[in-house]
Amino acid sequence: MASELPASDRKVVVHLRATGDAPILKQAKFKTAGTNKFSTVIEFLRRQLHRDTLFVYVNSAFSPNPDELMIDLYNVGGICVTHNFGFDGKLVVNYACSMAWG
Amino acid sequence: MELCSEEAVRLVWEGAIPLQIHLHESEVTTLPPPPPVLILGPRIGYLPLLVTVIKPHFNDTLPPGVDSVWFDYKGLPLKWYIPTGVLFDLLCAEPERPWNLTVHFRGHPGEILTPCGGEDPVKWSFINSLKEAAYIINGNCKNVMNMSQTDQSVLWQSLAKGNMESYTHVSSRLKLGPYGEDAVMRMNTGRIPIRLYLRILGEDVDDLEDVTTVDSWDSISYINRPVEIHNEEDHHITFRSAMRSLLPEFFDDEASAFDHVLVPRGDYEIDDGIENTEATGTDFVSTKSQSPKKVNEIKLIRVQGIEVDLDIPFFWVVNNLKNPEHFLHICVFMVPALNPA
Repeated sequence: MASELPASDRKVVVHLRATGDAPILKQAKFKTAGTNKFSTVIEFLRRQLHRDTLFVYVNSAFSPNPDELMIDLYNVGGICVTHNFGFDGKLVVNYACSMAWG
Repeated sequence: MELCSEEAVRLVWEGAIPLQIHLHESEVTTLPPPPPVLILGPRIGYLPLLVTVIKPHFNDTLPPGVDSVWFDYKGLPLKWYIPTGVLFDLLCAEPERPWNLTVHFRGHPGEILTPCGGEDPVKWSFINSLKEAAYIINGNCKNVMNMSQTDQSVLWQSLAKGNMESYTHVSSRLKLGPYGEDAVMRMNTGRIPIRLYLRILGEDVDDLEDVTTVDSWDSISYINRPVEIHNEEDHHITFRSAMRSLLPEFFDDEASAFDHVLVPRGDYEIDDGIENTEATGTDFVSTKSQSPKKVNEIKLIRVQGIEVDLDIPFFWVVNNLKNPEHFLHICVFMVPALNPA
């Protein structure tokens, strides 16, 4: 469990995965502060892909609202790894240029 | 105590905030200016859903151009994806009736607020919150993803129109509750989805009327942290135990608890953006975010406009006071404690 560190120090490793016809990024692995909001990732992708409209998902499942903290997304529950949003110490973020999972 | 109360759920569904909506003065092009609109905003609804009613009142006075509609309360742009009742509970420490909001049809503050182009983005946000809740409860959101388009549409329309019966009819098939003696085992993860809003009320406030207004969302901590239910005994936990598990710092009676006091996220120096890293093992430059030592204590916990009795069974609170997207939204007000030493 990552909870030994104070929340301000925890980092989340993000894996960016293109979905559908979205362009693949050269660098798809990033580390970001747990206190950052999900909007940080959305903004980053918008800048990289030069697109205003993007659909960004966690674990090919749902699209969190932009205020949610990275550590909350990663660390929901934090005990049973297979049931976490994060697998293996990473948070998988999928992005698509058109709606991928309704 | 029965853990499910149809009467309580109905009260939540019928709950509404009387709103008095003014057009922002910069958008008034007629004399005399249009009078404000009085309208009931359902607690479980979202502000953009009221636009079809509000817009005709102001249509004739608007300056030329097109933009996303947005609302503010005393200058604070309101996040449209937070349910109206939660916005009211959080931003009006002392409930103001009618609640005076300002509507803008121009000049959308894109830096602060994601634009909302109408009903579809609200529906998209609602369905995604529902999927997120399902993910927390079951470890996946198959049951929401597998919903037919018709059911998804019925679910959304019944929320938008406040039709509790048709909502319940579709929603019960998602198997996301209720929690109780026999139903709790449906949960695969033992987790209950919670959205927490932490607000610090500045100086020690005795009277909620003296509370200053929120001028930035940075002063509110937004935390998504589920309550974990591990064993049979947890089925009987009180709201207090659930809150203690969410915010242990505030429920520890020992004086040493003051060493680990939580400060709002807004007070941390959040490093800007995403770091580049070649490999996952790369060392990162530690951000020396020195959180100011603040000592806060809980003044008030509010759910659906109610100061909830902490001794009520937690499952009662979730079953009856959660929002239709299956998140329980909890507003927590804090004041600086008297003795930080």
